[in-house]
Amino acid sequence: MLSLAIALISIVLFVIAIANLYWTLHAWRTPANLRNTTFPAPDGDHSLSFSILIPARYEEAVLEHTVTQLLQSGHPDIEILLIIGHDDFGTAEVADWLAYKYPDKVRVIVDTNKRKNKPKALNTALPYCRGDIVGVFDAEDLVHPDLLTHVDYAFRATNATVVQGGVQLINFHSSWYSLRNCLEYFFWFRSRLHLQAEAGFIPLGGNTVFVRTDTLNQIGGWDPSCLAEDCELGVRLSSRGHKVVVAYDAVLVTREETPDSAASFFRQRTRWNQGFMQVFRKGDWRRIASFRQRALARFTLASPFLQAFTGLAAPVGLIVALVLHLPVWVTLLSFLPGIPTLAQLAFEAAGLHDLGKLYNLKIERAHYVKLVVAAPLYTLVLAGAALRAIARELVGRRDWELTRHVGAHLT
Amino acid sequence: MNRRRDLWVLGGLLPAVLLVQGWNITGYPAISADEGTYLAQARAVAAGEGLAHYTYWYDHPPFGWMQLAVLGWLPEVLAPDTLRVPAARVIMLLVSAINLSLVFTLARRLRQPRWAAGLAVLLFGLCPLGVALARQIYLDNIGLAWILGAMALALCPRRDLWHHCAAGACAALSVLSKETMFLLLPAALVAVWQGTHASTRKFCVVAFGCGFVFTVAFYPLYALLKGELLPGRDHVSLLGAVGFQLFGRDGSGSVFAQASDASRTVDSWLYQDGVLIVAGLAALLVAVFFRRLWVPAAALAVLTIALLRPGGYLPSMYIAQALPFLALLVSGCTALLIGWLLDQRIRRPGWARFTRRTLVITLACWAIAGISPLWWHRDARAMTVQANSSYSECLRWITESVPADSRIVVDDGLWLDLSDRGYHAIWFYKVDLDPEVRVQLPRGWRDVDYVVSSPMMRYGPERLPTVDDALRHSRIVATFGAGSDRIEVRKVSRYREGVTR
Repeated sequence: MLSLAIALISIVLFVIAIANLYWTLHAWRTPANLRNTTFPAPDGDHSLSFSILIPARYEEAVLEHTVTQLLQSGHPDIEILLIIGHDDFGTAEVADWLAYKYPDKVRVIVDTNKRKNKPKALNTALPYCRGDIVGVFDAEDLVHPDLLTHVDYAFRATNATVVQGGVQLINFHSSWYSLRNCLEYFFWFRSRLHLQAEAGFIPLGGNTVFVRTDTLNQIGGWDPSCLAEDCELGVRLSSRGHKVVVAYDAVLVTREETPDSAASFFRQRTRWNQGFMQVFRKGDWRRIASFRQRALARFTLASPFLQAFTGLAAPVGLIVALVLHLPVWVTLLSFLPGIPTLAQLAFEAAGLHDLGKLYNLKIERAHYVKLVVAAPLYTLVLAGAALRAIARELVGRRDWELTRHVGAHLT
Repeated sequence: MNRRRDLWVLGGLLPAVLLVQGWNITGYPAISADEGTYLAQARAVAAGEGLAHYTYWYDHPPFGWMQLAVLGWLPEVLAPDTLRVPAARVIMLLVSAINLSLVFTLARRLRQPRWAAGLAVLLFGLCPLGVALARQIYLDNIGLAWILGAMALALCPRRDLWHHCAAGACAALSVLSKETMFLLLPAALVAVWQGTHASTRKFCVVAFGCGFVFTVAFYPLYALLKGELLPGRDHVSLLGAVGFQLFGRDGSGSVFAQASDASRTVDSWLYQDGVLIVAGLAALLVAVFFRRLWVPAAALAVLTIALLRPGGYLPSMYIAQALPFLALLVSGCTALLIGWLLDQRIRRPGWARFTRRTLVITLACWAIAGISPLWWHRDARAMTVQANSSYSECLRWITESVPADSRIVVDDGLWLDLSDRGYHAIWFYKVDLDPEVRVQLPRGWRDVDYVVSSPMMRYGPERLPTVDDALRHSRIVATFGAGSDRIEVRKVSRYREGVTR
């Protein structure tokens, strides 16, 4: 009986992990797939106008750099809306100065909501957007000057409602978790999101995301109560049949930094996981017509939890099989879930090499060692965050825990 | 459209080649020791008795006969009255069909023209060595199917990551079917390299590596879980067996030394089919300069180097894994030569189109006229000679004259047949080497009733004192065949001093 249970659990875990690996590696599956993940070459026309939203809360250290960088964009028709909390005087000072310095380009919107979070801030600014396209960036983002030109063309060439550009964490050397965190982003934006877009079910990223202003107004903007407003918006749009295009280009990618401490990383993960749960419960994804897409939706929204628990359950199953002297075939089966896990490590090493080449980063042997050595602890942190998210959701704690930025990616 | 034409060509060639390979498959060649062993082990797997009919000692990885076990019912349905081992050769016909199809596919994926791919199938399938080896129940044939499959997958024009992962798994299954297939791994890697695009190559190589490592790993893992990975007292072990295969066996001597086992084996290959071997090795020298021939060239080069290393053990079926690559090299070089002769873009003053075509036709006729009498002669032999009639007669005699439940020491050619008929058959090899069998014979040779002495038993390399004693204390009660190939049924008498084997 126990043998059968262990065998069954091992096979289920194996299938889950293989499916996850299969989707993660989508971009590299064929050379054609990889070609399709980049932006098409622009025609040089700038016929769309952009309203860039930057919600900034306690970001006085990085805001000016980000805005200055954005203003160097090759696109002539942009406006920047800085959304500042009414109680955040430090950031307001920087924002006001920027608006004074660039009066035609920069405006400050004051967010007077009593309890603040990112979706509320974005909704506050939405009525003031004059451009055809609303774009969202975070206060610490490094944006490439040519990005908007490419996005402009992508909208016109594909007739999409949403264009999601790539985001890349870049400070892989900062801490024990940052390397793995950077790679997670790499696999997500370089590969997985493209598959999600093709499949017609996509949780969007939090920034470098561009939406047609009229559509955004029609559907009422962001969900103010959701902890993963980006994911929620993507699910809502794609389940209503709107076309989402994802493009990744190492040159144009928006560069970001990892959370500044393990605790902060843990809180960020908790928030995302809780957000995914909220989106799952809200059930917009059930409107998708095809069964296969709904299955993918279910799997995608559940995947932070599945991933965390396969990481934990696989060793437990193995230990049980070994300690209790179950038959050899059961013990052999209990090794199965280990295969995709180890394979994932090997592919991550390949990804790290690719990352180094694409971004001209010096990846040394020690980094590969770090990648492998940090894996168990990282999995443990993810599992902990998943558990904490479930616990918080059960007791109804849904407040927004902010991720602090220090600007490690700017140096 | 192209694929359909490929299917037509292959569909036309395959039945013809299989007819030559299958005609008189039970009669020729003579039953060899390994055939019976693998078949009996397959039977043990199918019956759920374990990985072998005697203690499994990791002599070979078990996946080869696990596959035989799946099809073990087939011969018993098709030919219930034939000797078990020759009857089971029908399974190998299926394996051969797969191998031939894969050689064709591989040739096409190595960008050989359709006629050249057909030529490769004919060379591989009809060469006398190929005909004899393809008929026999050798793990090499099964391993070959997997490694050819791995190469074909790696060269798939879609260049899909998961095809490379599958190719790695196939390569692993090939090694798990027959460990010597490891030598073909470099060629498989060349195929992976050539079958990938620079942009995704890194990931495809990792996929191949993962497919290979994580499949192969289950074999040592199995040994580890059984407590049989490391050598120790009173138990068999994987590393012990590997050590024996690599270092413990008596070497076959150098290929170049006169009268060494290795040179005798090579001579016998050349005697049976020198044409393909010599032409293939010549083609290897040309192939170095043509990228599209690197996969078979790498395979043949590694096999040749391994063959030439002094002092190793050289089994006679070693050539089986080289045959498809010899064929692919010859067909590939022929295609290059003819392509060059007929190439319209190359200006050859004074060479009229007609002259060039005549030259090609003359070359073709000359090659066919040179090879076909030789091959015809040997293949006709394979299709007519009855090499196993002594075994059949011997079995008939035993069932009529020897009481059931007698203890009979036999070779693996008859073991299954006698066991199935209720006799207490003991594989002679295990009498002295398997402790479990020795327990069944507490008084040694005195507990044996009959010995069936066959060439396998008389000319085997191992020293087997109990078997020798049983032979010495026995008298011939029936003889089948004559000369060194004869089979004797001997009754053991406790009081008799007889001849040695």
